[in-house]
Amino acid sequence: MSDEDVSAAAPPPLPPVSVVRRGRWSAGLIWLVPVVAALIGIGMVIHNWASEGPVIEISFITAEGLEAGKTQVKYKEVVIGLVDSIRLAGDNTHVVVRVNLSKDAAGFATADARYWVVRPRFGTSGVSGIGTLLSGAYIGADNGESHEVKKSFIGLERPPAVIHGSPGKRFTLLANDIGSLDIGSPVYYRRIQVGRLVSYELDRDGRQMHVDIFVDAPYDRFVTVSSRFWNASGVDLNLDAGGLKLNTQSLATVVAGGLAFATPPGPRDTAPAADNAQFTLFDDMQGAFAPPDGEPEYLQMRFEQSLRGLSVGAQVDFRGIVVGKVASVRLDYDVDKQAFPLIVGVVIYPQRFGRAGEKIAQLVPRGSDDDNARLAHLIEPMVARGLRAQARTGNLLTGQLYIALDFLPNATKIAFDPAARPVELPTTPGSFDRLQEQMTGIVEKIDKLPLEAIGRHLDSTIAQLDKALRQVNEATLPQFNATLAGAQGTLGSAQKAISTDAPLQQNLAQTLAEMQRAARSLRALTDYLGIHPESLLRGKPADPALRDAPEKDAKGNKP
Amino acid sequence: MTYPELVICEYCDSVWCRSELGDHEIARCGRCRAVLYRASRADIDQLLALTLAAAIVFVIANASPVIRIAVSGMHNEANLLQSIAALSHGSGLIVGLVAAATLFVVPLLQIVLLGWVLVFARARRRAPGFAFAMRWLHRIRPWSMTEVFLLGVLVAIVKLSGMLSVIAGPGAWATAILTVLITLIAQHDVRTLWEPLSARVAVELRE
Ligand SMILES: [Zn+2]
Repeated sequence: MSDEDVSAAAPPPLPPVSVVRRGRWSAGLIWLVPVVAALIGIGMVIHNWASEGPVIEISFITAEGLEAGKTQVKYKEVVIGLVDSIRLAGDNTHVVVRVNLSKDAAGFATADARYWVVRPRFGTSGVSGIGTLLSGAYIGADNGESHEVKKSFIGLERPPAVIHGSPGKRFTLLANDIGSLDIGSPVYYRRIQVGRLVSYELDRDGRQMHVDIFVDAPYDRFVTVSSRFWNASGVDLNLDAGGLKLNTQSLATVVAGGLAFATPPGPRDTAPAADNAQFTLFDDMQGAFAPPDGEPEYLQMRFEQSLRGLSVGAQVDFRGIVVGKVASVRLDYDVDKQAFPLIVGVVIYPQRFGRAGEKIAQLVPRGSDDDNARLAHLIEPMVARGLRAQARTGNLLTGQLYIALDFLPNATKIAFDPAARPVELPTTPGSFDRLQEQMTGIVEKIDKLPLEAIGRHLDSTIAQLDKALRQVNEATLPQFNATLAGAQGTLGSAQKAISTDAPLQQNLAQTLAEMQRAARSLRALTDYLGIHPESLLRGKPADPALRDAPEKDAKGNKP
Repeated sequence: MTYPELVICEYCDSVWCRSELGDHEIARCGRCRAVLYRASRADIDQLLALTLAAAIVFVIANASPVIRIAVSGMHNEANLLQSIAALSHGSGLIVGLVAAATLFVVPLLQIVLLGWVLVFARARRRAPGFAFAMRWLHRIRPWSMTEVFLLGVLVAIVKLSGMLSVIAGPGAWATAILTVLITLIAQHDVRTLWEPLSARVAVELRE
């Protein structure tokens, strides 16, 4: 440019620029760019708006681990929403978390949806939420069946044990106390875990616990209408005739507690229990398997003698069957007698009487609604027939007593007051007491014996005896000796007299020989007379002439 | 001395005599066919359209998340302003301020000032504060650094993707488009806007 300025003051005319005309449309084309940009922008806005689900508010006690814009809401580990903001509630008692649910999670803004914060938890029933140590806490969600729209929720402080739609059944157990159980405590069936404790709450009147449990399918069908539940927490140590027995469901229940159920053996109704069925939670397995006790009846007894060894809880026994237990032992004062009777309160379980109880109960009309009056009405004739309570010794070593109910045939008549509350059962001294009385009687009799006089008499008798003995020693015995010596001499002469060479013996032998000879002669005579009877008259004939020698010899030897 | 009736081709240095253009006409170099100047109306329309597009994209780029990272269930995402705010905490304050200036304030000023000037120019009027706007447009042009930011995002995505899952958000795409648009706008010679003004006024203003 400067060159031209310098070289020519009046520059030559320059060629004009070439002018090109553009189509009108191509000029307008450029406006497509902002239009496209705007369309994209609007598209994004619409997309955002369309994908925006309901906004709900959840209140928690604390916002620990929650972060606005970051904390997610998850159902089955799928993100269904995001925490939008967290603020304190008006009264500062809790925090309100505002959550943007995604469009497809609109079903979670319904009346029975539940929300809780998933954060690491270390409890006796296990460790949960470990994953959130790294990822940070998130809000867990669970929805139900309801379609009723709800925007404001109260968050659960701990995860629910069962999420909606899990296969299985829910049951309610009625318990006296919860023991060491807690939410999430396991439920065992034959020592495998089949469910868990879901929730528990106290009755409105505070008398019983309602414990909700959930039993997973397929084990839920083992819960039958006759199933029994018991608290399997801790150690069950049993010492009985069979020895020492240790019972636990699992080591974990010793620490953390647990429940167990079973259907008692025997023919039972094994129909599966319905969902939400109610059961009683027993303290232990024995209690669970024992026949049901039913409603107890209260009785009172009045003992005049000491009841050392009778403790609260001692058995009440009727003909060997435990029908109740001692509930209280109190001391009373009888102003008239100036005595200290003991008042024993017992509970009786009528169902433990079995059929007897049923039959007797039928005898009494159920008309009166007053249990006490009914019981009095029932017991009165029995008392008349001799029903008495007795404190008996159950264990001779420890002296433990139990209360025995029995009919005593020779019981003294006692006035029964049917209006007394509670019903008072007459008593009779126990067997041990009677034994004691008898012993006392014996001792008394022994005591009455004139032992001193007897002793004195015995003493003088013994003195006389002594004197007599001395006399025997001094006078009688020497004479006795002399007598014996005499006797000995007599015996010696007797012996001499009967010895072989004694003259007596010789004479005797001679005499006998003479007698022998005489007897022979006599025989010869009788023989002769037998042959010659005439000789008695005629005399002996002259001897015949000798015929032969032998005959002569024979005759000659005989006489 | 000035020769407002002459025009020199930027590419081949040939000198041509200006002639008035009607709407939608372009003046080209007779030798190399390069565009010498356009009808001011067409030029303004094009620039305004681009500026409008840039404005829309700027809003998108700043409103939607630029980058989203996630690791083991934990995730985070941020848009441009959030990242700048995060950077400004503590010792990063200066870096944050610089980033805010180069990535947010300067592009915003560029778009707003240009839009302001162009809207009036299209109506063949001179915008209030025209000279001021034009001066500042010229001054801040080198400080617009959305392309640097875009590069930074790219580097971050590449570097982090080995350790965690990184997703470029809509904001990153918008920033990319914004970078292109701003480059296109900056390429335009805004000096032509001075031309509808009388030479005298222009001279006065330049002094
Ligand atoms: Zn040229």
